[in-house]
Amino acid sequence: MSGFDLIALVPLLPLLAAGLIALLHLAGIAQDETGEPWTARLAVWPAALALLIVLGLDLAALAGGTPGSVQLGYWLVSGGFEVGASFMVDALALGIGTLVALIAFLTLRFSVNYLHREAGFHRFFIAMCLFAGGMQLIVLAGNMAFSFVGWELAGVSSYLLIGYAYDRPTASGNALRALVTNRIGDAGFVLGIALAYAWLGSLEWSVLSERSQPFTTLAAALLGIGFVVAALAKSAQVPFAPWIARALEGPTPSSAIFYGALMVHAGVYLLLRLAPLIEHSPALMGLLVVLGGSTALYGYFVGLTQTDVKSALIFATTTQVGLMFVACGLGWFELAAWHLALHAAFRSYQFLASPSYMHLIGGAARPVPSLLAHRQWLYTAALQRFWLEPLAERLLVRPTRELAQDMRVIDEQVVSRLVGLPEKAKAAALLDRVEQARHQGAQAVVYGHGAAGKLLERVADRLDHFERHLVLQAGGGRMAWLLRQVGQWLVAVESLLERPRYLLLLIMATLVVIL
Amino acid sequence: MLKSLLFIPLFGAALVALVPARFAWLVRAVALATTAVAFGYAIWIYQQFDPGFAGVQFYESHTWNPRLGSAFVLAIDGISLAMLLLGTLLCLVAVIASASIRERAKGYYMLLLVLETAMLGVFMARDWSLFYVFWELTLIPLFFLIDRWGGKNRHRAALNFVLYTLGGSVFMLVALLVLYDAAPGQQVLEMTLILETGRALPEQMQILLFLGLLIGFGVKMPIFPLHGWLPLAHVEAPSPVSILLSGILLKMGSYGLIRAASMLPMAAEALQGLLVTLALVSVVYGGILAWRQRDLKAMIAYSSVSHMGVVLLGLAALNPAGITGAVMQMVAHGLVAGALFLLIGLLYERTHTRDIADYSSLVRTMPRFAFFTVLTLVAAIGLPGTAGFIAELHVLIGGFQAWGGWIVFLSLGVLVSAAYALRTVGRLFTGPVAARMQGLPDLTVTELAAAGVLTAGSLLIGIYPTPALALIGASVDRLAQLFVP
Repeated sequence: MSGFDLIALVPLLPLLAAGLIALLHLAGIAQDETGEPWTARLAVWPAALALLIVLGLDLAALAGGTPGSVQLGYWLVSGGFEVGASFMVDALALGIGTLVALIAFLTLRFSVNYLHREAGFHRFFIAMCLFAGGMQLIVLAGNMAFSFVGWELAGVSSYLLIGYAYDRPTASGNALRALVTNRIGDAGFVLGIALAYAWLGSLEWSVLSERSQPFTTLAAALLGIGFVVAALAKSAQVPFAPWIARALEGPTPSSAIFYGALMVHAGVYLLLRLAPLIEHSPALMGLLVVLGGSTALYGYFVGLTQTDVKSALIFATTTQVGLMFVACGLGWFELAAWHLALHAAFRSYQFLASPSYMHLIGGAARPVPSLLAHRQWLYTAALQRFWLEPLAERLLVRPTRELAQDMRVIDEQVVSRLVGLPEKAKAAALLDRVEQARHQGAQAVVYGHGAAGKLLERVADRLDHFERHLVLQAGGGRMAWLLRQVGQWLVAVESLLERPRYLLLLIMATLVVIL
Repeated sequence: MLKSLLFIPLFGAALVALVPARFAWLVRAVALATTAVAFGYAIWIYQQFDPGFAGVQFYESHTWNPRLGSAFVLAIDGISLAMLLLGTLLCLVAVIASASIRERAKGYYMLLLVLETAMLGVFMARDWSLFYVFWELTLIPLFFLIDRWGGKNRHRAALNFVLYTLGGSVFMLVALLVLYDAAPGQQVLEMTLILETGRALPEQMQILLFLGLLIGFGVKMPIFPLHGWLPLAHVEAPSPVSILLSGILLKMGSYGLIRAASMLPMAAEALQGLLVTLALVSVVYGGILAWRQRDLKAMIAYSSVSHMGVVLLGLAALNPAGITGAVMQMVAHGLVAGALFLLIGLLYERTHTRDIADYSSLVRTMPRFAFFTVLTLVAAIGLPGTAGFIAELHVLIGGFQAWGGWIVFLSLGVLVSAAYALRTVGRLFTGPVAARMQGLPDLTVTELAAAGVLTAGSLLIGIYPTPALALIGASVDRLAQLFVP
């Protein structure tokens, strides 16, 4: 056991903190304003400890080099399928891990004051700790399964925080939109995992970079495309870009950590992990350059037309992340990594400071540059955010909704009747009837609804008849009756035998047989 | 060592006999202590047991009747040990659940303890003659327990039960006698020694013997047309006896069948089709009739037929997965049926009705009862996370390997079991508040402990099945090796 095994604690500590806060919240200790110090302590201290551990590991790595990856045993073994409890400990993981731990710690500390006396104080910290753990898991996981767990934790906690003010319809609607868009990326991630297991027989990131070398460019592209889609969705690149603007609904510190600093870079980090595979596939690289470039332009133009601080910041973020994708597409992975780190640090500062920008900035904001000001069509397009959202609405959301409506009609008209579920309109009447029957005391227990239920009822009646008349009667009634009959008969024979003349006859018969 | 386990309950029964009948609490305390000690002792044996070794352990033999060649032989393997643990636990729970029995309590506890001895003897005996003696010995206390402390129809139920079981035993006895004479010169009934004799018999002979044993064990299990005694006996017996009856006494039948299969492998293979058919019919038939019942106890009784069908199905698959599933299902059903009879018995004590339709909205008055009943019913369906799931999954896999698509009937049985379990939950716990259901006392601490132990066991095996699988693994593999094609 080397000291690097401690790496497992880095994602685990915030997750434990989330669980503990939730438990204390349920137990009624961490509740209301009086419980705030508890929650704050439980959230901030594990984050600080995680930061210290990463820093310690950094020092050890600087002194003695990194082991590449560590394996702490197995998480799941089933037949030939195994997933190790493995963590990456290389320069990239440690560097970004340090950054994540630092920003998570600072943001959590910042939030303690920022959210003081908010209604959902405890809820906020549970989600933030979940996110910190999930993000660390994305960065430090040694295999795709763990990365995916982190990926989903980050997605869920982002959903929870966007919907922080869930009594506002826009907040919950935006949360749903963000989550669903991210699910497209998750599907890509799962596809990538499945292909990696089918072709490589392992889910380890290190194995992926080693064994994918002999692949053809087509195979590499197929293997990579799932992960690339996941990265595009998480980092809000062009076809998926609109969700991130909706995601600003959450409290400011969460916006900072999710969309300014960390989660938006998760896609870039995934690409960095996949570097050997992407380098192997020109098609993927081209795709990244095109989509990254268009995202950068999209973010630039849209950002110029924004009128509030947070939106302007988020589109600037989109632009920068787009540039990182371009860098990855051109094969400049190291540049992308440095860009990621510097941008994350700077942007999280900007986001955390954004509520006070109104005081910090004196004077009016700069007008839009002439490039945009003199071209009305471009300005309109930028203001409308290039109609990406209405496009998605028309191409995906509306057909899905219509299909769902058709399905609902089939469900109500055919399936419900067959299965015996009450239709919505008749449910109340049915319930009423059942209640009345209950009150009158005359009620059938044994009855079925729907086709299957009626069939079961009929079969049960037949079997019950069979059971009563054949099986049970044979035991108690019929058999006992038979025994009694035989008994009476034997008694009659016995009494006959007791008479001397029959006894003599019997003896004589015996003698005849013997002789 | 095993001898001590056998004599602990007997010793307890003797102690109970010495206590004057007017100290009812002392009688109960002695019985409680005895069963607790027996359970503790079984756990101690479990810790001494080496699960990696496939043969029998703790072997002890005493000459009994040298002229006949029978001996007093005790030994256990993994399967027997699992049954011993289950049996001693259920006896403890049954004694805890007997609090309401106050008349003639002394006799009651004595009979219960004698029953425990006989039952443990069945699982420990390694000589067919001894096995048979213990097998018949269970009948005597059971007859009196049902006949004297039972419900309205108790006389008929007790007579019915004894007639059925004795009828089956006759076939078993004849089969054993034929087996005894089968190998000239070597006339023993010791299970390990007779294995070779049995396996060497011609197929025709094996089939006849196996059929005889199948009738004997099938009555006890029970298998489909031989289950006539079960609904009546379960309904009429006092609840603690129902716990023992369905929790552990039914397992004697399947346990005997496992031993018979290892002795007559050719017959088991030849009759595989018959066994699977009987099993599938039992599963579906028992399930549907359970759904048909209004009486809660009758419902559980028929569900036992269904669940023991799963045991037979797993056994009939004759492969490691299936047999593992069968043994696991024996344990799982023991825990679930024990818990269900316990809970329903406690409910009956409070309301004196067993008709489902009389109940409603119990969750308001008896939340703890509702919690455990729902948990147990869910375990009866075999939801993941409960022991029943582990068992059914193994049976499903094993059965599918052996029989393919026919296993769909097992799923059908599970579906029907979900139907009656959920209906019961709905009827008992939801609905409008009924005046009659007001003011019922919830489970007391001791009742809570008894129900908690059984459900915890079910959940423990369901969530972390490795120790249980390891315990029976070697013995199951040894049996399954006989049937490798």
